[in-house]
Amino acid sequence: MNISIGLADILLISPVIVLFLFSLIPLTTKVLNKNVEQSPATTLVVALMGLGIAAGLLILFGGSDQTIFNGQLLFDGLTKWAGLIAIVSAAAGIVLLYENPSTPYRQFSEIIFLALNSVAGMLILISAINLITVFIGLELMSLSLYLMTAMSQEQKLSKEAAIKYFVLGSIASAIFLYGVSFIFGSTNTVNTAELMQVAAQTIQADKLFLFGIIFVVIGFCFKVSIAPFHAWTPDVYQGAPTPITAFMATAIKTASFAAFLRIAATQVFQGSQNLVDVLQWLAVLTMTVGNVAALVQTNLKRTLAYSSVAHSGYIFIGLITVGLSANSAYSATAVVFYLLTYAVMSIGAFGILSMIEKSENDFVTVDGLAGFAKKQPALALCFTIFLISMAGLPPVLGFFGKLYLFGAAVSEGLIWLALWGILNSVIAVYYYLRPIVSMYMKPGDTDVSDNRLYASTIMVIASAIFIVVVGLFSGPLFTMIERSLS
Amino acid sequence: MNIGASSSILSLIIFLPLLFALVISFWPQRQTLRELALGFSLIQLAVSLLLLRDFDSTTAALQFTEQFTWIERFGISYFVGVDGISLMLVILTTVLMPIMILGSWKSISEQVKGFHVALFVLQSAMLGSFLAMDAILFYVFWELSLIPMYFIVGIWGGARRIYATVKFFIYTMAGSLLMLLAIIFMMRLTPEVTGGAISASLLDFYKLEIPFIAGDFFTPQTLLFFAFAVAFAIKVPLFPLHTWLPDAHVEAPTPGSVVLAGVMLKMGTYGFLRWVIPLFPDASSHYAWLFIALGLVGIIYGALVAMIQPDMKKLVAYSSVSHMGYVILGLFVMNVYGMGGSLYQMLNHGISTGGLFLLIGMIYERTHSREISKYGGLAAAMPIFTIFFIIVTMSSIAVPLTNGFVGEFLILMGAYQYSFTASIFAVTGVILGATYMLWMVKNIFFGPAGEIVKASEHDPEHRLHDMSKREIAVMLPIVILIFWMGLFPNTIMDYSKQSINHLLQNKQNYSLEVK
Repeated sequence: MNISIGLADILLISPVIVLFLFSLIPLTTKVLNKNVEQSPATTLVVALMGLGIAAGLLILFGGSDQTIFNGQLLFDGLTKWAGLIAIVSAAAGIVLLYENPSTPYRQFSEIIFLALNSVAGMLILISAINLITVFIGLELMSLSLYLMTAMSQEQKLSKEAAIKYFVLGSIASAIFLYGVSFIFGSTNTVNTAELMQVAAQTIQADKLFLFGIIFVVIGFCFKVSIAPFHAWTPDVYQGAPTPITAFMATAIKTASFAAFLRIAATQVFQGSQNLVDVLQWLAVLTMTVGNVAALVQTNLKRTLAYSSVAHSGYIFIGLITVGLSANSAYSATAVVFYLLTYAVMSIGAFGILSMIEKSENDFVTVDGLAGFAKKQPALALCFTIFLISMAGLPPVLGFFGKLYLFGAAVSEGLIWLALWGILNSVIAVYYYLRPIVSMYMKPGDTDVSDNRLYASTIMVIASAIFIVVVGLFSGPLFTMIERSLS
Repeated sequence: MNIGASSSILSLIIFLPLLFALVISFWPQRQTLRELALGFSLIQLAVSLLLLRDFDSTTAALQFTEQFTWIERFGISYFVGVDGISLMLVILTTVLMPIMILGSWKSISEQVKGFHVALFVLQSAMLGSFLAMDAILFYVFWELSLIPMYFIVGIWGGARRIYATVKFFIYTMAGSLLMLLAIIFMMRLTPEVTGGAISASLLDFYKLEIPFIAGDFFTPQTLLFFAFAVAFAIKVPLFPLHTWLPDAHVEAPTPGSVVLAGVMLKMGTYGFLRWVIPLFPDASSHYAWLFIALGLVGIIYGALVAMIQPDMKKLVAYSSVSHMGYVILGLFVMNVYGMGGSLYQMLNHGISTGGLFLLIGMIYERTHSREISKYGGLAAAMPIFTIFFIIVTMSSIAVPLTNGFVGEFLILMGAYQYSFTASIFAVTGVILGATYMLWMVKNIFFGPAGEIVKASEHDPEHRLHDMSKREIAVMLPIVILIFWMGLFPNTIMDYSKQSINHLLQNKQNYSLEVK
């Protein structure tokens, strides 16, 4: 194989390079400075600069529909949008981390190193069209994350979560890789662009290939927490420091779903009705398990974790739609739009929790929000907006996300799936209302842990404004994403 | 000021309350908040009266329409318009608003600012759902109205307010989500009639001919019909979907009950009139018997349950179930008496039940008790209050010369035309209605002095004051409307006559022209 690297390759891969270089800056400075940690504010600024430049480069060169490194990475509309969502949510997670009481500032530069490398892994994962490269991206993203999960100093749950996540995640990766080997054995290629032409026929003829696809799907189902592969989600979401949970629920989920979308877009599912049926039942199971389990939670992080599982179920409907439709640009847009919606809502909701937590061992419960609306009317209003949006009520963004997603499902004839999604939204309303009840209708004196959490405050309020304003005028954004995806 | 057909008065009516809510939320002075809100609601009323003045009642066409593209990709537009069906409901909403604000002057003492903000947002959402002519826009306003109501009951309500408000929210939301799915499904059908483009405009929905096979439940029209009908039936509320209503009514603060009974329930019946019957004419006719039967059950069941209520607010809440049964009955008999009477009864119920809730709120402020058995002989202590209460009661039980008579009489005539049996059951409800209302009046105002009146005689601290000037000002418009609408019904009905006739004559291929 003749490998040549040209200027185009460098320009397109530049966001990843930038992220890697910026991740080294705080770490190197620390080493040169006799292992004394510089001020966290400086580190934060460096990290945000790195993410900002990477985002800028991605906007400039990302959506040009070019492949680089001999067809390893594809920079198309999906790369650009999913990459942007991942980068922005990662930035938000880092901002929260900077102001969260559980953050060990003595190791802040190490955490930033891990976070930026995780984002670099995400960009590779999103843009990879070769399944081996997908695996590299997946591992780079996940390995950094396992360490970040364990970051908390005193909280034992954090260590437990990290071990759980690591062990289960590794098994999932192994299953994924095993599936890739089957696919290679059957078709002699691991390139999704080439698979696209043969996948639908091969899956009917070749059982080996079918198993390969099933294993790959299971690997992804684990990453995006589709039931019954979701069991790690509540424990890890609860155990990880809240800003890391926000990072996980948004950036990691977006990147994993984007890569999953590429598999679905090979139209491999069209060859096997049985597989489609199973996937539909998984979607139903995921939504139901997520929402029903969330009903009985009192710890808000766990509630949001199960709600995250349920949202994966909704997005999974869109993914199945993409797999089934001949012209998938609309359905794919609906998925990306929902990922964006979910990322903003989650950043906001976890941001509020992160601001209320007083220490590492402090878990915010539903009742623990009592009286928050009196102490912090603006933040309580923001939290209400996030919860209403998650519940899918108009006129905010979450409603329109669901409208587009279920609209795509209905137009592909998946009416029962859409119906199930909608019925699930009713269950969900109950647990999304509980924090609102607590904040507004119960006496108490819950407050933020510190009145000087300026960065988090700004971010939460900006997310809320985004949810409302973009919610009301979601048409242009949808059209913009659709244009770049088709 | 002359308002041409191209003006944007409807947008003004919808969004003015939102602007008011914004101003109120940034208003620095606590003391002048109520005056400010009252002033705003009067401005809003004045604007809506301008609409009434310039409305052309000689046509069934949609008037004052405005249409802007909202989400182009899916043919969703900001499309509003008013016709004879929605006009009076808009006016009802704007008329009740100042009355509610004045009525809550004393009873709401905590978080006054938040309360008025919620009230104005609610008003905006309700007006929006009456005026929206685009399915998604309608759905947005429809759901938006839940949120402020949820807070009004949940924050300023009674002891079991949280249970009541969550129940209210989930019930209504569960119904409306099925409607959302139906809307999405119908949007997918519109390319047949628009020539390729997807559309959410109600006028395009009207053009759809959705397949219907009598007797087969799983045909598109029947399924869509029920998806919409259940959403609206929960809101009305139609028996047996009514169980959220007594809870919400009893726990809500007085203005919350007024707006709930006065306007929000009408969103459901309006939905039948605007959406269900014209969109699904075959299914509506085919299943009319079901809704008539449920309406009749609601009339009698609501009345029977009301009879045994010890709590006056709960009694009025169940009487709502009974009265709304009449409205459904009138709609589904599908003749000009029934439908005209229904539309009229919607207004009547808003005024008379709203009035009763206000009066009960006033007495509750004084005694902190709504138990009928504790009262008795109140007429001697509060003569003015007694007069007002009896007038509103007369309206509620449809005594001639009051508005209630006109509406119920027309509905009964419509029911008679439909079937003799149906009218017998409906008339029974009228008698039962008189029984429980008059029983309540007798036990509160007459007879031997009860616990509360006795206490007030002995104890100067518990002395019962008769109605204050403010309270009279609250009730006076209601009483005037009761008699005006009872004596000159044509002044109101003329506005809706064309629209009702148009609907009945063109039920099969209903369409609305835009003027």
